[in-house]
Amino acid sequence: MTDVAHIRSARFREQREADWLALEKLVARAERGAAAKLSFEESRELARLYRSTTTSLSVARDISLDKALLAYLEALVARAYIAVYAPQETLSGVVSRFFLRSGPRAMRRSWIGIMMGFVAMALGVVIAYALFMQDQSWYYTFMPLEMAGGRHPGASTETLRDAIFDTGEGALAGLGIFAAFLFSNNTRVALFAFSLGVFACVPSFLLTLFNGLVLGAFYGLHESRDLGYEVFGWLSIHGVTELSAIIIAAGGGFMLGLAVLFPGHVSRKDALRIASKDAVKLAVISAIMLFVAGLLEGFGRQIVQDTEMRIMIGWGIGALWLAWFLLPGWGRR
Amino acid sequence: MARASTPAEAARLAEKRQRFAVLTPPEGVPIRFEVATLMGRAGAQIADIMLTFLGALAIVIVIALLPFNMGGDAAITLLFLLSLFIRAPYYILTELLWNGQTLGKRMTGLRVLAADGRGLTTHGVVARNILKEVEVFIPGTMILASQSLGLVWTLVLIAWIAILLIVPLTNRKRQRIGDILANTYVVRQPKILLLPDLSTTGADEEFVFSADQLEHYGRFELQTLETLLRANPLDQAVKKDMQKTLVEVMRQICRKIGYDEPVADDRALAFLHAFYKAQRAFLEQKQLFGDVRDDKHHRRDEDSG
Repeated sequence: MTDVAHIRSARFREQREADWLALEKLVARAERGAAAKLSFEESRELARLYRSTTTSLSVARDISLDKALLAYLEALVARAYIAVYAPQETLSGVVSRFFLRSGPRAMRRSWIGIMMGFVAMALGVVIAYALFMQDQSWYYTFMPLEMAGGRHPGASTETLRDAIFDTGEGALAGLGIFAAFLFSNNTRVALFAFSLGVFACVPSFLLTLFNGLVLGAFYGLHESRDLGYEVFGWLSIHGVTELSAIIIAAGGGFMLGLAVLFPGHVSRKDALRIASKDAVKLAVISAIMLFVAGLLEGFGRQIVQDTEMRIMIGWGIGALWLAWFLLPGWGRR
Repeated sequence: MARASTPAEAARLAEKRQRFAVLTPPEGVPIRFEVATLMGRAGAQIADIMLTFLGALAIVIVIALLPFNMGGDAAITLLFLLSLFIRAPYYILTELLWNGQTLGKRMTGLRVLAADGRGLTTHGVVARNILKEVEVFIPGTMILASQSLGLVWTLVLIAWIAILLIVPLTNRKRQRIGDILANTYVVRQPKILLLPDLSTTGADEEFVFSADQLEHYGRFELQTLETLLRANPLDQAVKKDMQKTLVEVMRQICRKIGYDEPVADDRALAFLHAFYKAQRAFLEQKQLFGDVRDDKHHRRDEDSG
């Protein structure tokens, strides 16, 4: 069949089809994650073909009534657009950049949110401790039963000591699952404290406060049995990391909430988006700390039975976290 | 919403209801991405959950088969912790490595795009997947455990899920809260498929149409005919049950355009192909000179205006 016999849009297609097919091939290669491996010539070809095909699409929209052709060009140009303008980001350097610069910087920029988290938790501890010392029945108000794991004012001092030093074979032997429960519970608290901060900080504050209440009552119970120092060690080994993680997650939540409450010159949506840059980094840091805390809780606490040692490990690791937050990334760029 | 009075109008309304995100690149030619439906996204999500769960299960089985002894409690604990840590990191890693596609999204043909049209940032991927915990996983597990919840918590859960659904349903790009924060949205991955041009096949001397006869139809009818013809290519034998339809369509067209010469029933397909080509050439020519005919009612506007 001769060229003349074809209608205009069919001739248009015939002249450009080779270019489209070439672009299709290049896009497929770029999408297979090989965008970085395309040679210089090929990348230039990709850009050139992309541009000529967008022109084809623009013309086809005007002159062609072939539905299948239009759909093909729309899809091809859309895929090529992604390959050209929104390619796979290189992942090298993302991790080191986070640890050496952006993570610590986000922490320092968010000091006000983290302080708010710390104050909320400290407040909870003080309130619960003071109330417990007045009346022991407050314990049941603060401590959810499934979290207490047999440790309540009715338990004997011996049971409490056994729980701390893991000598007993009795009621608290299945500590593995209990630890996992506690741990996932804390992960959840951290997650909620972070994400619900959007609602004007209130849920973050309440969650952190509640966590502090549990801690205060728990400490008060042991203090009243002269086990204060031992339980301090028991809590220190993982708690320094774990509670800091919750406070940091809540800090991220507070930063989001503050952005909603005081957006400044931008709209609330934009303020939230800007604040989320640092807040998300706080959440990642918190997740890393929770993971470390989980390891310490699962292994360290069972292996290390000496209170001094527990305190040293716990606060030593705490000092390392602090060093990470405070030392790297001060230089410009 | 206005009621459609003609098939063409119904098709236009249906297209309007489909959500597109239009993006104008520096080349100045707007590109359309079809926004993924919530159902499609739920499907991808379920596929991902099954995959991660199977992955965690496989790891636990491998560890259980290792020589050192591990009790049942420890194995359950391990599975518990693994499912927690496989989740968010899985989504973050796959979306980073495959440019916005988890395995589930690959299967269902979806992808994440940045709303500003640039590349997906690490921040965006991390943000949308951290919030996925609160938006998908925690409510999901709470629904599974809903029998043990009290009345108050059930109400809280219902309100929570309502908010989670209202947010994406009330914005144009179907963004969930995590998407808004990360400035991303989910689209259908456009499928690239080049079909042959129908106007270049078949002999055209057999049927000749006058300009008068081609005045009747518009773009919508032409493209409907195109769909019919793509299901019945010229070079293949016509399926039995299609033959009757083709003859009916042919008769209807002949009646409408006033094509007087008799057409044999077994030439119906050839006639339709020839008519398609002639009609398309005619309409494209008209369109080139600024006379766009969207459907066969195109004259109505001129009459009323």
